[in-house]
Amino acid sequence: MANQINQGLISQFAIARTTRRRFLGGSAAAAAALALAACGSNGGSPTASSSAPADDGSPASGTLRVSNWPLYMADGFVAAFQKATGITVDYKEDFNDNEEWFAKNKEPLSRKQDIGADLAVPTTFMASRLHTLGWLNEIRESGWSNKKNLRPDLLEADVDPGRKFSAPYMSGLVGIAYNRAATGRDIKTIDDMWDPKFKGKVSMFTDAQDGLGMLMMSQGGSVTQPTTEAIQKAADLVKEQKDKGQIRKFTGNDYADDLAAGNIVVAQAYSGDVVQLQADNPDLQFVVPESGGTTFVDTMVIPYTTQNQKAAEAWINYIYDRPNYAKLIAHTQYVPVLSDMTDELDKIDPKLGANPLINPPKATLDKVKGWAPLTDEQTQQYNTIYAAVTGG
Amino acid sequence: MILPGLAYLAVFFVVPFYSLARTSLSSSGGSVFMPELTFAWDFGNYSQAFGLYQDQILRSFGYAFVATILCLLLAFPLAYVIAFKAGRYKNLLLGLVILPFFVTFLIRTLAWKTILADDGWVVDLLGSVGALPSEGRLLSTSWAVIGGLTYNWIIFMILPLYVSLEKIDPRLLEASRDLYSPNRRTFGKVILPLALPGVLAGSMLVFIPSVGDFINADYLGSTQTTMIGNVIQKQFLVVKDYPAAAALSLLLMALILVGVLLYTRALGTEDLV
Repeated sequence: MANQINQGLISQFAIARTTRRRFLGGSAAAAAALALAACGSNGGSPTASSSAPADDGSPASGTLRVSNWPLYMADGFVAAFQKATGITVDYKEDFNDNEEWFAKNKEPLSRKQDIGADLAVPTTFMASRLHTLGWLNEIRESGWSNKKNLRPDLLEADVDPGRKFSAPYMSGLVGIAYNRAATGRDIKTIDDMWDPKFKGKVSMFTDAQDGLGMLMMSQGGSVTQPTTEAIQKAADLVKEQKDKGQIRKFTGNDYADDLAAGNIVVAQAYSGDVVQLQADNPDLQFVVPESGGTTFVDTMVIPYTTQNQKAAEAWINYIYDRPNYAKLIAHTQYVPVLSDMTDELDKIDPKLGANPLINPPKATLDKVKGWAPLTDEQTQQYNTIYAAVTGG
Repeated sequence: MILPGLAYLAVFFVVPFYSLARTSLSSSGGSVFMPELTFAWDFGNYSQAFGLYQDQILRSFGYAFVATILCLLLAFPLAYVIAFKAGRYKNLLLGLVILPFFVTFLIRTLAWKTILADDGWVVDLLGSVGALPSEGRLLSTSWAVIGGLTYNWIIFMILPLYVSLEKIDPRLLEASRDLYSPNRRTFGKVILPLALPGVLAGSMLVFIPSVGDFINADYLGSTQTTMIGNVIQKQFLVVKDYPAAAALSLLLMALILVGVLLYTRALGTEDLV
């Protein structure tokens, strides 16, 4: 059957450029089988939040199993961490998609069984869901002295005030990427995406938040105070353009390949991807629409099934050291979650600190908004509305 | 002797089937992301699933049907040549037929993405002779999806056809020629009837997986070519409406079963190869 696609194969196949959220439909199949098997049992979930065991003061040791997105890491970083701490890291790039990861791991997590990872990197909304279900351990400050380096706006975010359960890893902008040579003009607004000249050459995100956020903003809606009506209105617009044949694909991270190959000329895109693609194709541009775009934050979390809480905290703390973090940013090209990174980035390459997509100017930051934390019911409702448009 | 087979069927068919059927008739409630499914004889899941996704169901059957016909048209001459005309190259040709399938399904499909790319030479060539589909491109059209299905499943047509044709006693063909039957008639009266089991087996092996396929529509298709497999995948993994997804899966199975029964009845054969 077509449905048997090996997940490891898919990671290997991830083209020779960095893609953060490569969503490959095929990889989801195995998860579908698991989800199906899961249906028979009733998943009683704990509601109380877990807290980590008390710190006994001994140094972290042993093995740490990290589950991260494909190619979201710098060369030599893991080795340097191992050398610095003596902790052995089993680093896996098996986090391909938030919902897919959740579908696969929710059964073992609900029974408090090991999921093969001591630390994972879900996006904010997923971290928040895991926390609500009571499946995350608190990240103890005793092992996280570099927490002070976190950007103040992220430290006091509504989703996790004081950052007790989730440590931001990377943040980025969701905007529009376009091939200037193929469009022949600059793209500035959402309406520019619907230019008949680009018919069948436009791609949009399948993810409801990333896909609909900027459309809602262009229609006078808000992602900080989302309403079902605003979601529906944005989804209706997508449906209208889809039915016209304007939208060629609904994508995850895979828009990057089509954009580079010229099959897509205007795409909803993540900032870091575009910075990397520009190295091969200088014609590619990234823009936050005039009416605004959204931001995302991926966070490191410690599942309550972790077998090495202390090593996970050591890992987070190591990443929160500015010189270490600069090496990561130099590789992933996303927006740093630590404050005052310009000096450290300039030490690696002066171009990094000056790149407006890594160090966005105030004018850009004023235009972007992060989604309000959604309730489970809202997430489900929005997913359902948008899934009906993206073709089920 | 038959026990291991029965045990296999029980574990890998009956149990999952029971679970799927039960899910499809359940209603979900409780927490959104850890829903509790309650068995409720809820046949509404079926009518709702069909009502919402009949376009994708019909499209899947349409694509699979065209792909099966294309496979048959392409595979028959090939299998015929290998069975009757290849002589000592028979094994070599069979090897060449199987060779591409050593490469995994996913990679082969993605390779077509490169070949059919909008800026690729195939599109340029067809464009210069005015043979492009109305969309002005090849990738992300129905034809790319049908082409992908044909390409990916054709081996399951070639092999059964070859086996059926290879079994034909050459003396029957000689006898037919001795009786002054023209080639066309030999084909219609002797070869085709004897190859029917192969046609039947091949058609089913191509049609059934094609209907449920979602990889080809995902990579080679567009927003206008979504198949039912894509819908089921999304229902399971994104929307997490397990009863709807299970109902769609079972509906698809039932429709395929009816199709296959009608087809076997029409061809009037019960043997597969």
